[in-house]
Amino acid sequence: MVSGGVGEMEAKETGLSRDAADDGVGEARADTIISVRGLDFFYGPIQALFDVSLDIPRNLVTAFIGPSGCGKTTLLRCFNRMNDLNEEARLVRGTIMIGGVDIHDAAVDPIELRKRVGMVFQRSNPFPKSIYENVAYGLRVGGLRDKGALDEVVERSLRNAALWDEVRDRLGDSAMALSGGQQQRLCIARAIAVEPDIILMDEPCSGLDPIATMKVEELIHDLKRRYTIVIVTHNMQQASRCSDRTAFFYLGRLVELGETMRVFTNPAHKQTEDYITGRFG
Amino acid sequence: MRAIAMGRGASVRAGWRRAAEAAVVLALRGATYAILLAAGFVFADIVWKGAPVVLRPTPPFVNVGFLTQAPQTLHVFEDGAGREVRLGERDFREFQARSGRAVAARSFAHAGGGIMPCIVGTVLLTLGSIAIALVLGILCAIYLSEYSRQGPFIRVVRLAIVNLAGVPSIVFGLFGFALFVLFFGWNVSLLAGWCTLAAMVLPVIITACEESLRSVPAGFREGALALGATRWQAIWTNVLPHALPGMLTSSILGITRVAGETAPIMFTAAYVIRDDLPWQGLGNAGEFFFQGVMALPYHIYYLSSKVPPNEYTRDARYGTVFVFLALVFAITLMSILLRARMRRSRPW
Amino acid sequence: MAADRHSDGVPPEGVTGADRFRVALGGCPRRRVLRLTLDAWVRTFFGGSAMVTILVLGLIMVFLFREGAGFLPEHHRSLTLYRRTGQEFVDAIRAPLADHQALNRYLGRVRASEVEGLRAAGMGEPDVREAMAAFDEFAARFRGAGQLLRDFADEAGGMALATRNASQAGETVDFVRGATALRALLPQAGVVLREFRETVEAVCAAAPAPRCDGSRRPWARFREMVGRLGASVSGAHERAMAWDPDRRVPIGESLAAFFWGRRWVTNSEWHDRYGLLPLLGGSFCISVVAIAIAVPFSVAAAIFVSQFASAAERNIVKPAIEFIAAIPSIVLGFFGITVLGSGIQWLSQQPWMSWVPFFPVSERLNILTAGLMLALMASPTIFTLAEDALDRVPRAFAEGSLALGATRLQTVIRMVVPAALSGIVAAILLGFGRVVGETMVVLLVAGNRLEIPDITLGMGVLFQPAHTMTGIIAQELGEVPRGGLHYRALFMVGVTLFALVLAINYAAERVVRRFRPARH
Repeated sequence: MVSGGVGEMEAKETGLSRDAADDGVGEARADTIISVRGLDFFYGPIQALFDVSLDIPRNLVTAFIGPSGCGKTTLLRCFNRMNDLNEEARLVRGTIMIGGVDIHDAAVDPIELRKRVGMVFQRSNPFPKSIYENVAYGLRVGGLRDKGALDEVVERSLRNAALWDEVRDRLGDSAMALSGGQQQRLCIARAIAVEPDIILMDEPCSGLDPIATMKVEELIHDLKRRYTIVIVTHNMQQASRCSDRTAFFYLGRLVELGETMRVFTNPAHKQTEDYITGRFG
Repeated sequence: MRAIAMGRGASVRAGWRRAAEAAVVLALRGATYAILLAAGFVFADIVWKGAPVVLRPTPPFVNVGFLTQAPQTLHVFEDGAGREVRLGERDFREFQARSGRAVAARSFAHAGGGIMPCIVGTVLLTLGSIAIALVLGILCAIYLSEYSRQGPFIRVVRLAIVNLAGVPSIVFGLFGFALFVLFFGWNVSLLAGWCTLAAMVLPVIITACEESLRSVPAGFREGALALGATRWQAIWTNVLPHALPGMLTSSILGITRVAGETAPIMFTAAYVIRDDLPWQGLGNAGEFFFQGVMALPYHIYYLSSKVPPNEYTRDARYGTVFVFLALVFAITLMSILLRARMRRSRPW
Repeated sequence: MAADRHSDGVPPEGVTGADRFRVALGGCPRRRVLRLTLDAWVRTFFGGSAMVTILVLGLIMVFLFREGAGFLPEHHRSLTLYRRTGQEFVDAIRAPLADHQALNRYLGRVRASEVEGLRAAGMGEPDVREAMAAFDEFAARFRGAGQLLRDFADEAGGMALATRNASQAGETVDFVRGATALRALLPQAGVVLREFRETVEAVCAAAPAPRCDGSRRPWARFREMVGRLGASVSGAHERAMAWDPDRRVPIGESLAAFFWGRRWVTNSEWHDRYGLLPLLGGSFCISVVAIAIAVPFSVAAAIFVSQFASAAERNIVKPAIEFIAAIPSIVLGFFGITVLGSGIQWLSQQPWMSWVPFFPVSERLNILTAGLMLALMASPTIFTLAEDALDRVPRAFAEGSLALGATRLQTVIRMVVPAALSGIVAAILLGFGRVVGETMVVLLVAGNRLEIPDITLGMGVLFQPAHTMTGIIAQELGEVPRGGLHYRALFMVGVTLFALVLAINYAAERVVRRFRPARH
């Protein structure tokens, strides 16, 4: 709770330091970590993203909202190049810079990129291994073998994911035995174990009950002091509760991006207003 | 009005209709059980006439001679007391030597002795070809399902696999004969049989393995990749362990197919008669692969088409078929049970 | 706890996130061997082994077609030799003799029906013999009518054969001289043929008419066939005159003689023939019989199991039928030859079965026995696929129908089966494909007679032995010299079989795709 308060303060400060009516595309600032310019993206013949440009600042929570099929998940999966795995997917134009590096540069190894940019999926997908092995997975594939170091990271990650107290006695049990909310927090722990800079969350609470959702949201709140978080959500309350900035997408275009407070209270576009007041979507 | 319509006349009509329905359903059920009955009849005939040849009511409960000897000529004669005696080649010679005179006997080729070399041959053929097919099949399935990208080439490959799965086994025999036996000059040999049978089950195994790989949820791969695993790490740690049981179980079905086939080995691997067991009389280890073997299905073919059917050859025929059928059914049953168990214990 | 969270994760002073990123991504963190990462090597390895597999699958087709393709030129050479040596000429003259032979056989049938008719009229055995004496005398004279022609053809054949044998032995042969000598026989051939025709007509004109009503129809047919013999004779004469040893054999004829050839004769002293029709006909008849028997049972079983059976019954019946598929075909063949063949023959010889047409059967192994065994083999295939198709029909269809007051049976007949029809048809086609390609059962049980099944006999065709494409390969491949015409002919049969099965499977797939209800 205490840390949550601090987080809010921080959010306000960083928000104030910014141009109040920015529409996402401002000058690249020192604390901008992801910067997208003129992105056109296709699935086969179908264009999923139209000329999207936006900046995502460091150590804040940015929420992507919009009706289904508006391209928000597609954009999210561009950030760690998970779209490379889809044979149909084509990035036709535009650049994505993360930390000043063009992630589609030939010198960039997608494997390394994904270690820096973690991801939590819509459906919690723990591996059918023990809880311990789930968290240690990213480190093991990264080549870490030292048992002591692994133990330490596993405990720290689980603590940071607010799961340690619930599972400390049964680290050897199968992760499939956990409840849905616990599984999702385990996936978050798994993602933060590799010490990424950015965590992408694709509707992390869509399958969870309200209490589990609340726990995950609290966790997001805690995490943002150390990680930049981008979260895709359908749930407008969630966006307003836990994000600092909100981007609204509609039919593959970025309609509006700004302070969450402003977007929800005083949207600049008619479409945004219609969506958040529930007239469609 | 309504009430009248639903009165007596209607109920009589409904009764007729119900009776007609019951009759149709009965007919359908009859057809179902007719199939089972026909198969059951075949099965019962073989067990009824074959089991007494192979099994014994006293310990060790099996006819050891039948399972451990090579096929021999059967000699039938009458002993001094006018009883009919049936002896295999070896025993007959001993008997003649003991009695010190030539005994007039009728002889029937292949009807005596046992079927040990056939069992050994079938087991060798099956194990070898399944090993080859599994290695190639699993590697190919991993490539197709995990690495390949959609394209005209892969489409052609898939088309070839699907179509080859339906090609008659005799065509594979033809192919194996042309390629392995003649073109490579391996002659009729274990190796030629292995390769032919492996080529035959390969499409089946690839399809089964791919299906098994696909049944592993995509989330396992994505989750691993999102944590910075390379593709191979993701496959090795998060896909293969879950797909492997399914691959192996489905492959057992391939084993029944290999073990039961006759046509592909007729010209590539099977001998009508060979007294040596595969490991006997070898000059060097390499010769092991280039020798023909006897095989149960081919032996059955030979016994039922080339050996005159009569009461003396009957035991050899039914005994062989019984052993063969028991072998194939044991493998099939195992695969069914394993698959059922695997479905239950799947972690996701 | 809060302190703990603050202590780690905060970047060291002076290093921004962007810097960390550049450090992490800019470097070359993964080990490379020969400029490829380990992952790329693994990928290459799998690609390589997949290529081996694909190579094997490709080789199958290449070798099959390579060996088969060699058939055409070789067959062409064989046909050319056949023409140049004059064997074609001799066979043209001999052709009416085959018809004559067929007439002789038919005459035997006429006699049998006449005898039966006389017996039925209450005649004693000696009376019958007496009554048939005139007929028998006629039959003997009819048989003798061919003698002159046969002698003549044999003489000419001897000459042609001498030329051929010399040519095959590698000697240089003067084909022209042989041809001239044969052509010199042409006028004589015309005379002999005319004489043959006149003799036959004269004999038949003096034939005693049958007495019984029952044999009038066969007799009329016989007369009709004799009438056609005249045409056959003049055709033979024309073909003999048209024979030209120097005329080229078109390459297409080599193919046509294979696909439309009515005879499969191998290891013959005279001339080997590789005609597919007897094999194709046998395969086709047996498969049709098998499918005709299997379909009603297996489709009914599929409907019953998927629509009417209780869960408990289904859990027993379904695996049991699928278990039948595990019976190796050689076992079914064994059962067919040891039990079923003799069983049916025994049954057909029982007096109380004599009302069945064509009973008692003379051949133990015939199309019906093979068809029955194959039907048992095809049943699980058809059952499984048809049951799947029925199962895939959405429950909502059936529920909608039931909700309108239709009974369960009406629902199944009007709603479920039509919806699954494409799947059922595909199942039947795939069953057909499997049966056509089956070897061991037909090899053991079909009787292996190299003749086109005579479908003019109606249902009697069921009790004829037949040979099949798969059977001929299995039977003859082991004994042929490599690379010879016979060897290649067997590969051609294999290629045809391959194409046929592929076509059937393709048709099945098309049926499924065309009628599949739209999804999404």
